[in-house]
Amino acid sequence: MKVKVVSIPVLDQEKALTFYSKILGFVKKIDLPLGDNRWLTVVSKEEQDGTEVLLEPSPIHFEPAKIYQKALLDAGIPYTLFHVDDVQKEYERLLALDVKFSMKPAEMGTVKIAVFNDTCGNNIQIVEML
Amino acid sequence: MSFYLHEINRIKNTCYSNSKQIETVIRTRNYIISNLDKELNLDMLSDTGFTSKFHLLRLFKKYYGQTPIQYLTDIRIGKSKEYLKKGMSVTETCYSIGFESPSSFSTLFKRRFGRTPSEFQKEQF
Repeated sequence: MKVKVVSIPVLDQEKALTFYSKILGFVKKIDLPLGDNRWLTVVSKEEQDGTEVLLEPSPIHFEPAKIYQKALLDAGIPYTLFHVDDVQKEYERLLALDVKFSMKPAEMGTVKIAVFNDTCGNNIQIVEML
Repeated sequence: MSFYLHEINRIKNTCYSNSKQIETVIRTRNYIISNLDKELNLDMLSDTGFTSKFHLLRLFKKYYGQTPIQYLTDIRIGKSKEYLKKGMSVTETCYSIGFESPSSFSTLFKRRFGRTPSEFQKEQF
């Protein structure tokens, strides 16, 4: 078995694609129609053969997914995390693009972390190994 | 304060309160990253961290979840992919990341990625 795709639930796929590509800098990899929705994945620009992130519209179609996503969001819990080389630099870059952070960069043992809102229903954590 | 921030603070206080230990392992990690092409072993790393090798082993595992040698191998093998993608030869890549012989490098690479460094390199072009 290989890890090829992981999913993030999103409330609006088009909005999510814009945020993940234009703001975060991911690159669209697969975009195919699936009825009213799409199988839509993005990958890291620096690692385009790496794991794909599926922008999955589950909260729109499955009520428990919507409830779970909102519960995580309200509790400030990140749905997932991405690694960056420099959390402070990425924080400043995203802040300048009007991204909202619920946790400013902070050291925690051997990592530095920060948490932002992806505007699609999730908190996302960025992590730098120290 | 959100539930998550509360939890982060709790974990920080319970697991990451010993700043000297954290400084030691971070210094060791930085040393590993800056000296990938050199021969590194636990004795050398413990001298850098100003601690005994068994203590360093325990500390590194406690804070990074891997032994220093496991961590070193992961970093080296990850770097090798970068170098191979850039077109560096297998032998040159092997020595640039501190492996002792191309055959041990190829064996490990194949075990990790399911193909030899040469096969991996051919796929890139």
